[in-house]
Amino acid sequence: MIELLKKLFDAQSVSGGESPVMDVIGAELCGFCDEIKRDALGNLIAYKRGKSQNPRRIMLAAHADEIGFLVTYIEDKGFVRVTPIGGIHWFASCYSPVKFENGVMGVLVPDADAKINEYGAEKFYVDIGCSDRESAEKLVKIGMRAAVAPQLIELAGGRIAGRPLDDKIGCAVLIEAMKRLKEHSDDIYCAFTVQEEVGCRGARTASYAVMPDISIACDVTGVGDTPGSKHMAVKLGGGAAIKIKDSSVICSPEIVAELTKVAEENGIKYQHEILTGGGTDTSQMQLAGEGSVAGCISVPSRYIHTAVEMCDLADVEACVQLFVSYLSR
Amino acid sequence: MDAKFELLSKLSHAFGPTGCEYEVKDIIKEEIEGLADEIYTDRLGNLIAVVRGKGEGRLMLAAHTDEVGFMITNIDDDGTLRIDAVGIDPRVMCGRQVVVGNDPRNGAKEKTRVYGIVGSKPIHLQGGDEGSRANRIEDLYIDIGATDRGDAEKYVQPGDYGTFVTEFKELAGGLIMGKAIDDRFGCAVMVETIKWLRSEKVTPPCDVYFAFTVREENGLSGARVAAFEINPTKAIVLEATAVADIAEVPDSMRVAELGKGGAISLMDRATIYSTELVNHAFEVAKKYGIKCQPKRYVSGGTDAGVIHRTREGVPTLGISAPCRYIHSATSVFHRDDYDSVCQLVRHLITE
Repeated sequence: MIELLKKLFDAQSVSGGESPVMDVIGAELCGFCDEIKRDALGNLIAYKRGKSQNPRRIMLAAHADEIGFLVTYIEDKGFVRVTPIGGIHWFASCYSPVKFENGVMGVLVPDADAKINEYGAEKFYVDIGCSDRESAEKLVKIGMRAAVAPQLIELAGGRIAGRPLDDKIGCAVLIEAMKRLKEHSDDIYCAFTVQEEVGCRGARTASYAVMPDISIACDVTGVGDTPGSKHMAVKLGGGAAIKIKDSSVICSPEIVAELTKVAEENGIKYQHEILTGGGTDTSQMQLAGEGSVAGCISVPSRYIHTAVEMCDLADVEACVQLFVSYLSR
Repeated sequence: MDAKFELLSKLSHAFGPTGCEYEVKDIIKEEIEGLADEIYTDRLGNLIAVVRGKGEGRLMLAAHTDEVGFMITNIDDDGTLRIDAVGIDPRVMCGRQVVVGNDPRNGAKEKTRVYGIVGSKPIHLQGGDEGSRANRIEDLYIDIGATDRGDAEKYVQPGDYGTFVTEFKELAGGLIMGKAIDDRFGCAVMVETIKWLRSEKVTPPCDVYFAFTVREENGLSGARVAAFEINPTKAIVLEATAVADIAEVPDSMRVAELGKGGAISLMDRATIYSTELVNHAFEVAKKYGIKCQPKRYVSGGTDAGVIHRTREGVPTLGISAPCRYIHSATSVFHRDDYDSVCQLVRHLITE
């Protein structure tokens, strides 16, 4: 799992520029699926044929994109101005190393006169070490993507921290589930979606292509187990989180009940999730065509959208097992 | 003004607030009559012209026919009209000449056009914080000269539409001003493109669908259904963008500059544009020496927001006319940018 995560982390995939990570995912799934396709927006859809005569269409989705930045302007003194792609917390991103899509490195810092309550795109720049526009333009171009540099820290108790866990951990769960899954009756369309962080745009077109009967996303969810956090029952180490609701979707009760039953029957640790802020690809899959029965299995995570997003590998394993048990039941 | 801008001048003067774009579409239809292989209007009112190509897919070009405007919500006892705005900044409305009207194709008894002026309480009578804050939409009314409600009802009904009255004129330095440049600029470029394809007898590699969309300013609803029906393999949205190239805006926050060619969108609030198409556009521009520039600062949204998410997804490019003061009574663009965008679109269609 750690090896796979490192590969996924290192393949930068800021929304709209997901190709590098899709290549990694495609290579990982090679030999485990019957067909792998990319669509016009860049979604990767891996198909696994079921053995049933009348298979249902089950769509799985994890988003392969990550939050980051887009270069908008290069100043005379070589400083690079950027705009956020997705939900960037400026406070959490500042004084961090930043990697551009071509590998160039820089550091993200606020203007010297920026007050903390003014933090925003206008008050931040990336210092790439160049002292004038001309030399900076040789390395970085307007329109280029960048992200806070990836890192993966192994902590005590089987926990890991780093970025971008959201949602490469979900991608890893689905890759692992596809590898372990042997016998299954339904047709499975495992989608690695683009542009979730800017509004679940990839999931919309991917689910139009699949037209699923049943759909299940795998994404990260917040927790309520750290000092000062909001009331939320989900905790790190509490098992796979079966989503009931977030601000984008009310999961279909049938799927919540079915996933809960499968977890109970197979002794998989689980918890129910109600997320009061944030959304996921489930929202788009549920509305595809005439609608699908839709849910989500979430990886409980702390410090989402920072450089130290944290999860428990035991929860990750529980998510993989829940997917495999559900699909092969 | 030279003949080149006659079409855009005509389109700029046309009455086309969101939901009542008939006059604009009538002009376009007349211009392209007999030139396209097929011309039709869909159920929401989008006007679509098809030029058949050699069959290598379907390219959708889109420009919206509607302009920012307002709707009459109520006629007061004194004969003045209360309004709700669509896309207009109420702070820039007071004292402007406006035209109010409707169309029989929109359920009205007859085609009407009535002139008026946007009024608010005179400065002499203002109290409290009224003098120190900008007008809100509820502070404004339209005076059409009617003596009372009964008189006003002879000319206007609640639900009628309105927009500014602005003359299309040339300024110094190659600049031109007029209303509704957002997005009659795009409409004019599309009409010119159809004419060019026919006069030069060019058969494009793919079928080209020119979608003159409705209701962009009210949530992109026209483009959404047009794109679903056309089912394009790629799309180019032609728009007008704010530029913020004025004194108090620092360089790093400027969107684009007048006279430096069409602004190619990288990202806005509704769309991340196709990197392949963006790179291709810059390459084509460079190859033929056509000016174009990146749209730098990320703001607003265009029809691309719904087009790129249509069906299984559509790689989409956005080219905008750099335009000062959009969403007001008068916007300003550079005449050279019109040529640059026309040239770029021709090459993008044929390559």
